[in-house]
Amino acid sequence: MNDTTADTAPQAAIVIERTYRAEVAELWALWTTRSGFESWWGPEGFRVEVHALDAREGGELAYDMIADAPEMVAAMKQMGQPISQGVRGHYTGLAPGQRLTLIQRIDFVPGSAPYDSKIEVEFRALGDQAHMVVTVHPHLDPLWTGRAVQGFQSQLTKLDARFGGAAPDPVRS
Amino acid sequence: MHADPFETLADPTRRRIVEALRAGEQPVGEVVRHAGIHQSGVSRHLRILQEAGFVSVRPDGQRRLYALRAEPFRELEAWLADYRRLWDARLDRFGAALEDRRKDAGDKEPGP
Repeated sequence: MNDTTADTAPQAAIVIERTYRAEVAELWALWTTRSGFESWWGPEGFRVEVHALDAREGGELAYDMIADAPEMVAAMKQMGQPISQGVRGHYTGLAPGQRLTLIQRIDFVPGSAPYDSKIEVEFRALGDQAHMVVTVHPHLDPLWTGRAVQGFQSQLTKLDARFGGAAPDPVRS
Repeated sequence: MHADPFETLADPTRRRIVEALRAGEQPVGEVVRHAGIHQSGVSRHLRILQEAGFVSVRPDGQRRLYALRAEPFRELEAWLADYRRLWDARLDRFGAALEDRRKDAGDKEPGP
């Protein structure tokens, strides 16, 4: 009935814009260096261990995503999922300090055919601040995301409290 | 099992049909007129939209009337909102990581 595939179907995009009191080079480093990437990447309740990160055109990214919050470990076990999952991807569309695209192969979602997840990031200096636009192309796999989102709720509530419920930057989708 | 809603709506013809149906319940002829697509194509796409739960159909004498169903759109909206929250949280951590690194760099700077 439908000749689109999980790999090629256009998907809705979520665009998130943030402005940080920092230099663009500092933001760039969080996306393109091992220590930078490990310091923030991954869903709440997970940490990542990077095995390969080559921020050049076509350069490899490989890491383990490891559940480390007790609630998340319990949630993964309850779902019958491993607490550690290897993820592979590559960088493309790089213009240092301006933009990058991260393609990740998502081949571990139960009930969903493997697909590529694409995240596009743009950076620009804004006075003494740095502006970042992240465009995420989510893939709707109801089984996984439904449960995952449910599992994240308690973590998110804590996070909201930590950040004082500050209003997020404008977001369009 | 329903098709991936994103894939269902990824088709531009189906999006035109959905746009046309926003005007309200209507027979296939009206959908054809509003969407500007040949009837055979409209029927096929209406069936796909119906199977995916986006469109309902009911008989009205000799006609069949098509209408949008709100539920899948609400589900999509809720799903996207959840996804966005996850990314908001992730970028909060990005900001916290930036601050930590700035603090570390500041600590390492030589004093006067």
